Amino acid sequence: MLTFLRYGVIISFFVCTISLCILVLKTLLFGKKPLHSEPQGVENKGILYAFGKGMMPWEKESAARHLPTYIAGILYHSGIFAGLFYILLLVIPFCPSLFLINALRILMLCGIACGVALFLKRIFKTTLKNISCPDDFASNILVDLFLFLALIDTFISIVRPVLLFTAILMLLYIPVGKIRHCFFFFYSRILFGLFYGRRGILPQKQRQFKV
Amino acid sequence: MNNKEAVKDPFEEKISNLKSEDLRKALQIFKEKINYDYAAFLNTCVHCGLCAESCHYHLTYKDLKSLPAYKLNLVIKVFKKNFSQTGKRISRWVGAEELNHHVVKEWIDSLFGRCTLCGRCALNCTMGINIPYIIRTGRSALAAIDLVPPGLQSTVDTALRSGNNMGIPKEDWLETIEWLEEELQQDVSDSKARLPLDEKGAGMLYTINPREAMFFPLSISAAGKIFYAAGESWTFSSDYYDVTNYGLYSGDDEAAGIMSEHLIMSMKKLRCHTLVLAECGHGFNSNRWEAPEWLSRKYGFEVKSILQIVADYIRVGRIDLDPSRNKKIVTLHDPCNLVRLGGIVEEQRYILKHATANFVEMTPNREKNYCCGGGGGQLAMTLFTERRLKVGKIKADQIRSTGAKVVATPCHNCIDQLMELNKHYKLGVEIKTVCEIAADALVINKKKTNTFHSLLSS
Ligand code: SF4
Ligand code: SF4
Repeated sequence: MLTFLRYGVIISFFVCTISLCILVLKTLLFGKKPLHSEPQGVENKGILYAFGKGMMPWEKESAARHLPTYIAGILYHSGIFAGLFYILLLVIPFCPSLFLINALRILMLCGIACGVALFLKRIFKTTLKNISCPDDFASNILVDLFLFLALIDTFISIVRPVLLFTAILMLLYIPVGKIRHCFFFFYSRILFGLFYGRRGILPQKQRQFKV
Repeated sequence: MNNKEAVKDPFEEKISNLKSEDLRKALQIFKEKINYDYAAFLNTCVHCGLCAESCHYHLTYKDLKSLPAYKLNLVIKVFKKNFSQTGKRISRWVGAEELNHHVVKEWIDSLFGRCTLCGRCALNCTMGINIPYIIRTGRSALAAIDLVPPGLQSTVDTALRSGNNMGIPKEDWLETIEWLEEELQQDVSDSKARLPLDEKGAGMLYTINPREAMFFPLSISAAGKIFYAAGESWTFSSDYYDVTNYGLYSGDDEAAGIMSEHLIMSMKKLRCHTLVLAECGHGFNSNRWEAPEWLSRKYGFEVKSILQIVADYIRVGRIDLDPSRNKKIVTLHDPCNLVRLGGIVEEQRYILKHATANFVEMTPNREKNYCCGGGGGQLAMTLFTERRLKVGKIKADQIRSTGAKVVATPCHNCIDQLMELNKHYKLGVEIKTVCEIAADALVINKKKTNTFHSLLSS
């Protein structure tokens, strides 16, 4: 049963990756004409900004204004990566050190707490609730459940079949719903960097008027 | 939504008369405008709501419809429904919706009526989605079925018909130049001082916002005086001189392309090497960044903002400024299209620091500035005047808290809005362009002027 589920995880991982690639291909099929305006700045600098300084609360007003949500978001995603890493260890299979397991436990615990907090915020904050669709809630529940089971599994492996089954579900759901942003986040931030970098707007250093 | 502010006739009628082929046409154009950047963005919003307070509409109204994510998702819904498998199969689950009468109505009210395309939300979006460009795509679809709010559309139509957005007849334009030239000669006590017109082979072609010719001739005089002091080789064009391009706001790329082409025709006719754009935010974004894309070709000449030119004159010592001539406290409003979307950020500060004795920044500033509320075509769309004035309160408060007596802004669109805010919120400030302030501080050095003039002439 477990072996069967492990293979299931591997297969769903590939299905997820291929589906995401198809999604990207579909976006690329919309095409884009080459740009003709003369660049004023350096695109690569813009991309570095997009993934570095441009995400920091002292640079980004929205992150500063919503600092608890911003931090919760970071912890939630760290927890998810820890959970996925744990699944990888189970699938390989590989017996991790106690130190590593403890580190993963802490990250997953934080992830669950933050995931639940974000879920509650979505329910109770009216504007947020009103821009949400069922997919937003389902994605959150699915990921929280996955993290919860992964955390339990680090203590008692009795939940392992359910954990692996949830992991399969989650991997298959990624391309369908909002969790696809795990990939599109990078795509969008690169485009953000290209835009502001090319126009010499960001990073600020690019645009200093030489005195 | 306040009943007074609700979208009224003649739109109601136009919308209710929409046929399914109109909706299909809108969708077709919508699809044509989506490139892979936009398609990626349309797949990315996670409904986190963190963009909320970056928008002056949301800060003012604090309602759902003013939320950038809400406006963005009005477009995303339609994208999903038509171009994604999940949107087609499990619409409600992923929040997909067909483009129907109701959605069209919401698009007009939100994409035109609750957005100045200022781009502040894009900087603050968790994912980096270029929200104003997506919103403009929605506007393009509406433009395709003739649903651009009347004031904005008539500005575009006038520019297409007459070559400038105010429909100024050629004789009036020539007359304006003539009397402004006489004034310049008196001002600098030089009967040879000129506002050159149709001078073939001049280095620079200078464009203006037609409002300058109609209502703000001082802006033209200021630029003329600075060019004179710098001994510049430049010219106006008698036919196409309008820096504005309301196609950027209406979403009509074809019309926008024609308007940009007008300036290219003037450049070709006069064989100039640099197109100098007057102080106009959206005119800069249009002609510097967007026009080559609308026209799908590179320009064969340089395009610069007048601010870059003037800052450079100061830097190399081509003109001299005496800051003590501008003693009042001056603050600066950053036009979104010029700064956050255009990349002209430091030049205006450099000029003002040299031209004024008391320059103070407002907070926030530069790319983080708040929109004045007049962008995105709002000044032309009388349908949304009440909202425009309400959302402008954020800018009014910003100005008030600087204690400034003069507000400089390098954009005539912003000037119009700031003048209204000045009156509405009783700010008691003067509103000027950056060049007007620089011209007030200008110290004419005839020897220098003549040296540069003869150098450039030879
Ligand atoms: S572009 Fe400006 S006005 Fe439009 S939604 Fe974003 S912040 Fe608001
Ligand atoms: S911040 Fe960006 S991702 Fe989040 S809701 Fe706003 S538009 Fe969507």
